Amino acid sequence: MSDVAVISTFHSDEECAQGILALHDARIHEFRAFFPFPSEKIMEAVDHVRAWGRSPVRYWQLFGGITGVLTAIAITFGTSWEWNLNVGGRPIISVPPYIIIMFELLILIGGLSGLTGFFVHNRMPVFDLFPGYRSRFSEDKFGLVVQCEESAAAKVESVLRDAGAEDITREILEAATGHH
Amino acid sequence: MENQMSSHQPASLGAAALRPLRESMQLNWAPLNTLGLVLSVIGIAGFVIALILGRSQRVWEIWLVNFLFFNGVAQGGVVCSASFYLTQARWAGTTHYRMAEAFSLYLVVGFVLFWGVFIGRISIFPWILHPSPKQQLWLNVPFLFARDGIALLVMTIISVWFVSLSRGPEARSWAGRFDEIDMPPVAIRRLAPVVAILYCAIYSLVAFDLIMSLSPKWHSTLFGWWYFATDFWSATAAMGLMAVMFRRAFGPNTTASAPGVLHDIGKMIFAFSIFWIYTGFAQYLVIWYGDIPTETFFIVQRFWHHPWTLLSWSTPVLIWVIPFLVLLGVRPKRTPGILGTVSLLGLIGVWILNFILVVPSLSRDRLPLGWVELTITAGFLGIFLLCAIPGLRRVAAAAFEPVSPELQPRME
Amino acid sequence: MAAAVETNLQPRYIDVDRQVQRAMAPGGLTYWLWVLFCAFLTALGIGFWTNQVYKGLGVTGLTEPTMWAPYITNFVFWVGIAHSGTLISAILFLFRVRWRTAIYRCAETMTVFAVATAGLFPLIHLGRLWFFYFVVPYPNERYLQPDFRSPLVWDFFAIGTYLTISTVFLFTGLIPDCANAREFATGWRKTLYSIFSFGWQGTDRQWRNFQMVYLLLAGFATPLVLSVHSVVSWDFAMTQLPGWHSTIFAPYFVAGAIFSGCGLVLTLIIPIRKFWRLQEMVTIWHLDNLSKIVLFTSLIITYSYCVESFMVWYSQDSLEMTTFHQRYFGPQGYLFWIMVACNCVIPLLLFSPRVRTNTVWLFIISIFVNIGMWLERFVIIAGSLATNTMPSQWRFYTPQVTEVVITVASFGWFLMNFSLFAKFMPIVSMTEMKEGISWLRQAVRTSYPYRKAA
Repeated sequence: MSDVAVISTFHSDEECAQGILALHDARIHEFRAFFPFPSEKIMEAVDHVRAWGRSPVRYWQLFGGITGVLTAIAITFGTSWEWNLNVGGRPIISVPPYIIIMFELLILIGGLSGLTGFFVHNRMPVFDLFPGYRSRFSEDKFGLVVQCEESAAAKVESVLRDAGAEDITREILEAATGHH
Repeated sequence: MENQMSSHQPASLGAAALRPLRESMQLNWAPLNTLGLVLSVIGIAGFVIALILGRSQRVWEIWLVNFLFFNGVAQGGVVCSASFYLTQARWAGTTHYRMAEAFSLYLVVGFVLFWGVFIGRISIFPWILHPSPKQQLWLNVPFLFARDGIALLVMTIISVWFVSLSRGPEARSWAGRFDEIDMPPVAIRRLAPVVAILYCAIYSLVAFDLIMSLSPKWHSTLFGWWYFATDFWSATAAMGLMAVMFRRAFGPNTTASAPGVLHDIGKMIFAFSIFWIYTGFAQYLVIWYGDIPTETFFIVQRFWHHPWTLLSWSTPVLIWVIPFLVLLGVRPKRTPGILGTVSLLGLIGVWILNFILVVPSLSRDRLPLGWVELTITAGFLGIFLLCAIPGLRRVAAAAFEPVSPELQPRME
Repeated sequence: MAAAVETNLQPRYIDVDRQVQRAMAPGGLTYWLWVLFCAFLTALGIGFWTNQVYKGLGVTGLTEPTMWAPYITNFVFWVGIAHSGTLISAILFLFRVRWRTAIYRCAETMTVFAVATAGLFPLIHLGRLWFFYFVVPYPNERYLQPDFRSPLVWDFFAIGTYLTISTVFLFTGLIPDCANAREFATGWRKTLYSIFSFGWQGTDRQWRNFQMVYLLLAGFATPLVLSVHSVVSWDFAMTQLPGWHSTIFAPYFVAGAIFSGCGLVLTLIIPIRKFWRLQEMVTIWHLDNLSKIVLFTSLIITYSYCVESFMVWYSQDSLEMTTFHQRYFGPQGYLFWIMVACNCVIPLLLFSPRVRTNTVWLFIISIFVNIGMWLERFVIIAGSLATNTMPSQWRFYTPQVTEVVITVASFGWFLMNFSLFAKFMPIVSMTEMKEGISWLRQAVRTSYPYRKAA
């Protein structure tokens, strides 16, 4: 018994969202949705079904930002203290100008960390196509790909058809790759 | 009118798909009314007694502070509404317009109260008794009161006109159409930019004349802009407090108190507090760096001299640090208790800001904060509340108006 | 001229793709001649710069007291241009403004290349540009570290951060679009888009993380816009020079930056939509709204001029009054009045909806905006320096060939990079246009009466 991928194509995002909810109602959880733009309806349906919570990328950005501020403090305070030239009658460690450096490094390191987190959590760059991916899912169609055993495929197909899929095909998967 | 609740039907333009979020409720306005009356009486009594007892310097100082604060909140609210029209904001149906305009009646009273500044001018403007010779063309009594009087009159008239248009049927039906890209009705979309432009010019003038001139040697080009941005922010904080109060009365299922609305107001409070600290820091940094005595004395006196230090440092904490740290996340903005507290603290912060802008120029070494100040502030607050009640009633009515289905998910 | 295609009042998702695909088709003779012309200007600039490096800054007209004039003007000008790109793509994103979708990619592209152009000018101005690394804090044997109290060091950090973050923001937003383009491209282009899409396939998990990072980057880019041009303005405000020492500089420069940048977006997008027939994606409705921002920021500039003048008179400071008197009525006073005409008076035309919906008028006004803003920087920088606190030092700046050529070459360099990018990358965001397809349909419908003039 090998796994198959049931690939359904939807014409509109509303129908795709309904498909996701229908799959959830039918207790089918091994699916992946493909869509060319982040439709609010689909994202809501996904949130409802998956209970993932908010993306963890924000922690990368937060800690990156904090690191940036601390780095700035280290560089500015540290170099002023170590090479202490009195310039313009200002305190050796004069905080108002250093706030600017702290802010810029907060943004720089925070932004770059967030980007890194984004790549890490999406495991990008992705070199292999996900099972069931079709090029039209990046253009104007919405896709729902369900991974299941061959025996269960018919049921999955009927759920999807009822939800409004305009086209359903099957593809046999070579080895059971279980992760998302 | 049939309510079409089917989710498969696309919402149509117009009334057929509207439905209210919940049943309407009546509020008892008597307690607020009574509070307003009591505070006003206390204020009038305090004012009269203080004048009789010869405390006129303190009376007129605090009069100016309160005039600036309460006028700022009321006017900022009207400008907030104008900016909603200019940005075609329809995130809470008509309610956020009503909330912003809730204090507009006070503007008329505020204009009358402005003339108290004229009566107490000797106590307020140091350049009357000690004229600044080079600045006499600008800083003299007839010219100052003529220009400020006319400016505030124009601003009040335009604001009242604008609010009446905004409450009219055309504007209200436009505001109800969430998913369209059409512009607001012609009359109001012509008037809204006028309100905004006049506000910037006139409140810069008010800041220069009524605050900056109290220390005639000092000047800062950004002061006017920073000041009218503060007033705008105080109006958003007042809206936040208002939304939380309505939440307490009505629960979360109205357009005045829904979590989505609290979130949007919270975002405004967050964002504009950052703008406030940015313009404040821009002034501070330039003055600190240039180290020119005629500029630095103004700040040094307030932030580093006894007895003003504590009050002055409390202003950036109340107006920026607390709103920024607390309202950074999503959930605090949607929690009524947190949003309400931050808003209230912010409003107190703006009052203190007006206090430390005005009073140290007039009373360098002595911090006047006693019964005179408290009673007169109470009086202004009482009058403000009484004037706000009609506007608040309209918010309450708008809170239960039907709302288009596209808007409803944003409410939750 | 007017496209033969019938206006499609109900564009579908695939129509969005096809229109952008058409814009990305291999360039014709006109396109390549244009790019070649820009490349030629760039080459001229490089030639004159090389000559300047070899012979020293003396070949320019820079002399005491106007040690800063055209190069710093160009620097501030290009950094300013960059800011409205970030405003449109990041700030308007946070405010969920609907008309942003059609123009933000163009604006972001403009940002990245404008910052890259701006970053060249401190180097050009250095003379001995190989010493630029002095401003980097690293362990060294000079017994010196960069002075973090100096606005020039703040500049280094601010511009560096801005270039990095805006590039990151641009390329992150491009990921789904490049995935889209990869599907309809062939040959080496397919490889190019595959690389820039990093294998993106638009799964639910990928989109969830994408939305978070895009929101966060937009949230970070927003204060960056305010801070970077404020830091640039503080190059001047942190001095005690009359005409420079003014607290209003920070927000005033930011507003001016957005003003000039939106002007340049108009200058760029109007020909693009005409020559690449994108009128039904970048509709008149979009241009109408963009020009309102131009008008709004023009009013802020007018306010700033008025407040500055007022405050000079109010303070009765003799040094400031002298400098400003020279600015308005001195030998180079005509530049000030041209600037006022371009920045304050001409944009008032944008109050009229008829002007805002006419692309010819918008293009002309946008050219004036850019001239006016370049002059504003010049008047502030070179003008204030020329009439400093020591009248015996007064000397007005006169340009030499080197600076003129390098200034023109900077436009050539910018336009060359922009044109190449615009042809090979999707200059309109297909992803976001599809996300806002309902508003696009309304926009097309609203703009239809103006269609024939476009």
